[in-house]
Amino acid sequence: MPTTTPTPRLALAALTAAALAVSSVAAGAASSGSGELARPAAAEGKLAIKAGKVIPGPGRAAIDGGVILIEGGRITAVGRDVQIPWDATVIDAPDWTAFPGFVEAHTSRGMDRPNENLEVAPFLSVRDSIDPINFYFEDALRWGLTTINVEQGHETVIAGQGIVVKPWGLTVEEMTVKPVAGIKISATPKRTLSGATQAQVLRRAFGDLRRYLEDLVQQKKEGSDRSRREALFQGRELEGEKAKGRAMEGSAWKVEGLERVPRGEIDEKQEPLLALVEGRIPAFVYCGRPSDVRLALEVARENGFLARTTLVVSPVCWKAADEIAEAGVPIVIEGGLVHTERDPFTGKEIETFVPKVFQERGVRFALSASNSTSESLWYQAALATGLGLTREQALAAVTTVPAEILGLGKRVGSLEPGKDGNVLLFSGDPLSVSSWVERVILEGVEVYDRSKDVRMKHLLEGVTPPSTAAMGEEEEVTHEDEGSPPEAGDEKKDEKEPPPKNGGNGGKGGGR
Amino acid sequence: MKRGVAALLALAALAWALPAWTPARSEAAARAEVVALQAGTAHLVEGGKVLEGGVTIVVRDGKILAAGKDVAVPPGARVVDYGADAVIVPGLVAANSPYGVGPPSRRTADPGVLAVDNFDPFSSAYLADVAGGVTSAYLAPARGRLISGQGAVVKLAGDDLRRRVVSRSAALQGSVGAEARDVPGYWDPPVPATVEVGLGVAEPQLPRTTMGAIVALTELLEAARSGKEADAYGPGAARELARVLGTGLPWRIDAGTETEIRAILRLAQSERLPLVIDGAERAGELADEIRRAGASAIVEVDVAPNSAGRDFGKGRDDRWPVFDTAARLVRAGVPIAIATEDSVRPRDLRFAAAVASRGGLAADAALRAITLGPAEILGVADRVGSIAPGKDADFAVLNGPPLSAASSVVATWIDGEPVWEVAGSDAPGSKAARSKAIVIEVAELYVGDGEVLRPGQVLMQGGRIAEVGRRVAHPLGAVVVRGPAAMPGMIDAFGHLGLDGSSKAPPTDYKLARVVEPGDRVDRMVARAGVTTVVLTPRGTSSSGTPMMAYKPAGQDLESMVLSDPTALHLAWTHSRNRVESGKDVREVLAKAVEYEKKWKEYEAAIAKWTPPPPEPEARVESAKEEKKPEAGTPPETKDEKKDEKAKGKEKKEPEADPVTGIWEGKLALPPNESEVSLRLRMRLEGKVVTGALRCAQVSEGLVPLGGTFEEGKLALAGLGSRGFVSLSGEPKEGKLEGKLAVGSNEIELKLERTTKDLDEARRPELRREKKPEEKEPKGKPRAPGIDAKLEPLRRAMHGEGAVVVDVDRAVEILDCVKAFEEAGIKPVLYGADEAWKVADALRGRVAGVILTHQVMEVDPRKGLSELRNRFAELALAGIPVAFHSAAEEGASDLPLIAAYAVAQGMSPEGALRALTYDAAAMLAIASRVGRLARGMDGDVLLLDGPPLEPSTSVLRTWVNGEEVR
Repeated sequence: MPTTTPTPRLALAALTAAALAVSSVAAGAASSGSGELARPAAAEGKLAIKAGKVIPGPGRAAIDGGVILIEGGRITAVGRDVQIPWDATVIDAPDWTAFPGFVEAHTSRGMDRPNENLEVAPFLSVRDSIDPINFYFEDALRWGLTTINVEQGHETVIAGQGIVVKPWGLTVEEMTVKPVAGIKISATPKRTLSGATQAQVLRRAFGDLRRYLEDLVQQKKEGSDRSRREALFQGRELEGEKAKGRAMEGSAWKVEGLERVPRGEIDEKQEPLLALVEGRIPAFVYCGRPSDVRLALEVARENGFLARTTLVVSPVCWKAADEIAEAGVPIVIEGGLVHTERDPFTGKEIETFVPKVFQERGVRFALSASNSTSESLWYQAALATGLGLTREQALAAVTTVPAEILGLGKRVGSLEPGKDGNVLLFSGDPLSVSSWVERVILEGVEVYDRSKDVRMKHLLEGVTPPSTAAMGEEEEVTHEDEGSPPEAGDEKKDEKEPPPKNGGNGGKGGGR
Repeated sequence: MKRGVAALLALAALAWALPAWTPARSEAAARAEVVALQAGTAHLVEGGKVLEGGVTIVVRDGKILAAGKDVAVPPGARVVDYGADAVIVPGLVAANSPYGVGPPSRRTADPGVLAVDNFDPFSSAYLADVAGGVTSAYLAPARGRLISGQGAVVKLAGDDLRRRVVSRSAALQGSVGAEARDVPGYWDPPVPATVEVGLGVAEPQLPRTTMGAIVALTELLEAARSGKEADAYGPGAARELARVLGTGLPWRIDAGTETEIRAILRLAQSERLPLVIDGAERAGELADEIRRAGASAIVEVDVAPNSAGRDFGKGRDDRWPVFDTAARLVRAGVPIAIATEDSVRPRDLRFAAAVASRGGLAADAALRAITLGPAEILGVADRVGSIAPGKDADFAVLNGPPLSAASSVVATWIDGEPVWEVAGSDAPGSKAARSKAIVIEVAELYVGDGEVLRPGQVLMQGGRIAEVGRRVAHPLGAVVVRGPAAMPGMIDAFGHLGLDGSSKAPPTDYKLARVVEPGDRVDRMVARAGVTTVVLTPRGTSSSGTPMMAYKPAGQDLESMVLSDPTALHLAWTHSRNRVESGKDVREVLAKAVEYEKKWKEYEAAIAKWTPPPPEPEARVESAKEEKKPEAGTPPETKDEKKDEKAKGKEKKEPEADPVTGIWEGKLALPPNESEVSLRLRMRLEGKVVTGALRCAQVSEGLVPLGGTFEEGKLALAGLGSRGFVSLSGEPKEGKLEGKLAVGSNEIELKLERTTKDLDEARRPELRREKKPEEKEPKGKPRAPGIDAKLEPLRRAMHGEGAVVVDVDRAVEILDCVKAFEEAGIKPVLYGADEAWKVADALRGRVAGVILTHQVMEVDPRKGLSELRNRFAELALAGIPVAFHSAAEEGASDLPLIAAYAVAQGMSPEGALRALTYDAAAMLAIASRVGRLARGMDGDVLLLDGPPLEPSTSVLRTWVNGEEVR
């Protein structure tokens, strides 16, 4: 049976954009073979996984009896004849299949609540809303999701910024993979808005930004220091980079003279949209109806962020596949793979397998596990294979394509030297219904072991975890016939008090 | 600041010019095709022109190239002919629609809201409107705001999404009505809310009164013209308005009451606004003021009952619909559009225009008010609204005058493509074609049983007659055909069509359905001559009788071809020249039949008396079943048909034993004319001998009887067809036959597939009463006598469910014969019956009818040549039903001539018509399906160019089972 040595971990303080820069340097360093700049967050130790079969990723040949070597959280070698260092921890799994961790390109789960009530709120960040002990992340491990883009829901016109996380860590900072994944925009009207008023709000947001910037430049020309005073009043940082002005970089429209304005003086509420127009952050635009695609693409085009736009589409949007293909944007298919409708003439039911439509038009698409836990990415990929995609296409749609959409194509999505050490060990083929995710290794650290998953064990084998044993005994003792109903109810309540605490902690210890 | 706005505008314009849409499919090739639409009448609307008597409209690339009466069809053009009865009008333009209207902006004025953003080109919700002839519609951005945004005009169907937006900005939509003056307060919470800032409260929004609305509009206009902001009404409202003012966009303002209309008219005059009064259904009084202000009006007509909420009762507020608004406005010279209400789908637009004409609006003005009128008001008249070269090829094809309630839309075209056609597929013979509703409107409708409706109409639906009357229902999309006269399809009471020259008398229990075959050319020709039902009678008779079968030569398939099988039994009173033995055979048969009937009567009486025992345990029931089994092997006399078939099946169905028997179908192309035709081969294997028949239009005119052998897996057949000797060889294997077919000097490879192993007989509703005892027969239950297929037709005749046709000629024999049948309880149909007229009085009420031989005129030997007698007329006058017949194959087509001749010689036309239709059907017991035009009867109708039975009258068109025979 596989053996593991626990690895010491360091808690990481706030991970900022700067950290991303460091990590990309680290990536370069790791690939060049020196490993000195290994990130402090992940394991410093070495881990070698000897798997019966290694599937390095879609489109790559499987290696029988392969070894994956992870040093400092990064994969350093994948192959059959890899020299295992003497000091490496070894997971020996001759019966299992190693596979790269699944990448979820868009989800609105894992937060306390997905939507803010404001119509335009790009200054919000999902970072502040993520709940690290949300069950979603525990489930994510169980199903093998190792990289997750958490974005706000669809019920906002311009929502806040999403964040890419891994489902492991006690704080959001620990979980963070990419601090700003992109701004979420919805082209489908939220409740109380019509398509036209949604479009109006959306267009006006960019118009307002433009007018705001023009006003700012005008003020500077007139020698007014109002924006500076406002910035100081709000306690914004006005040192270093923030003290400098920079010419606007937008590809669709520019405001002349913005270099006169120190960047720190730009209102925080406007700054994220400016970053979007300037091409510094990507956008995820939701289209719930095919007619929304036109608006989404039009706004992206008019404001110059089409190249960094990903559409999050519902299945019915296959009808707008031609427009999407022409625009050349990648998509995330959400809410199912098959679209069903009735022919208005014949009344016959027509089923359309959506990914195939996009595949035929050359649109890059990622699948999303947005329905429920049981319909996770492996399920979506397996279903897509059954409905007409090739195995490679289906696997790419849950690994490499979403990784590229998230701008993490060089870090996750496949098992290659230099990439993050995110490895899943399946008991069989990753697309087989009878396979389990047995182990999850995140950046070189084993974070999930099915044999220690108390909830799974309880569910499948009826094994009561030791920490909740007391609860089980008392359940047996409780006889409703003996006591009067209210008493029994009270008793039960009392008994049920402790488990959440216990379960929470115990669940963490066992499952994560 | 202003420069920035201008730059933004330029940018937005540029972005729109960029290809945001791609054509859904590569339709370039399809669009380049030239199509010529043809119809009887076209209302061009352009210049008020109505063209009648054959119009051609040439379309290319979605645009009209030419339209007129003398327009030549360009070479290579695809011609779509809707027929002389069809009427083409421009695609209707709905000046109002419920589509895309979403919740309004929260602010009182928001001119930047674009209705086009609400447009869902992928929706199928518009199909109902397209089916109503509406091709373009106005989308309002929202309602209930002082300025709620900019409306758009879109096409309601089409694949090219780019073409579907006709106008992205067609009008500035606003309102000074009550709903716009009650806008809820507006609250924008500050982010972040601090102690200093506070959450704030909702601010009330103006206006509250009509004068307030006028002031607000004036303020907004002033701000827009001077480049100021008027944020109290909405952020950026003035800025957006300034942009709109520059484009000269019409102001489409909702103003319901006279006060509101006057107020907005004054504002429009003083501010020089291009005004369109929306919802002006009560603006008739102000027609002259509206004209002086240079405004146009959109009149919404109530088509939904009580949609205006007319439920105020006996008060001052009672409301009555106004119908003359449109007429008064037009008289005053106000450009108008007629529209449906906000809540009603535009599919009723045509109906709304018709309602509006009630107030005195001329039909052409009403049509204009739903086509070119709205197109002009909405600024899209360069593309839609009329039929003129250069405009979009949008049409509605109707089956009658455009504003008549009885006409409906047959097809709708948008951008040169048919986007909707009634009943989908129109392939002849398809189920869809038969389910299509057809209305025949004629000046004289001969119902068949003597009644004549002037005028008359017939509605056919689902292959049957749904309604007959002076005016019948016109279901949506019904095909309407007009003509001078119509009558039921004629019946040949005794014909040979389909026998292909065979003179063999088949056995009494032979199923004649085996010999007929759908889709034959000769059959269709006969039907087109007007004979839609032929009672197929084999030549010659046998002592126990030969079967007769009523069938429709032009039926679409076996099922709809055969009326009943057998329909009648054909007996001959005299078999040889030995008149002494006359009637001997018939009497014997009748005696048997009486005996047979008696058995059944006894059985019926017994079973009526018998009370079933209490249910027995299962085991005993089973034993009863076993007991029954040996009985199933019936004596040769009593043949149960079904069992017979089953036995046959057992014999023949063993898969290895009989790979031949069945019906085989395939296609082949014979030189010199290479076009593919279908081939149908029936074969029956008995031992090694194969008999069969082949039907293929290119091999032979009719059926080719084939004979041959099947040995060691090889099949060899030969026969003689009309185009020469036919031989077929091949190896049937697992339902597939590959081999060679030689016709004359041509030889060709052949591939056939077995479609069925049964030699199929027409499936029809079982007319015979189900006498079969139940499977689980309890002990003591009276046993049913077996069904004798030979005597069954006689038994049915005794019950009036079938007919017996007897050949008899001399007067004395006729009386004998009738008497013999009377004893058996049957009213026979006399065939031949040369001397029946002599004993007409004695026959009255004792015979079902008489089928006279061809010869209409009879020379009375007693009176010499001086007096000729018309035998038909004599009998008809005596009250004995007569029927005409052909005793021929394609000669059946002469039936109308024979009847006309009878009339020319003194028969009443009414009697002759009855003889051709109802009387023939009644005497042969098929009157429940054919012979009359009545609800529930088969849709067999002839359209004539004059009164029936005039020699000069010819059959224009024929429908069989509700489908036209072509």
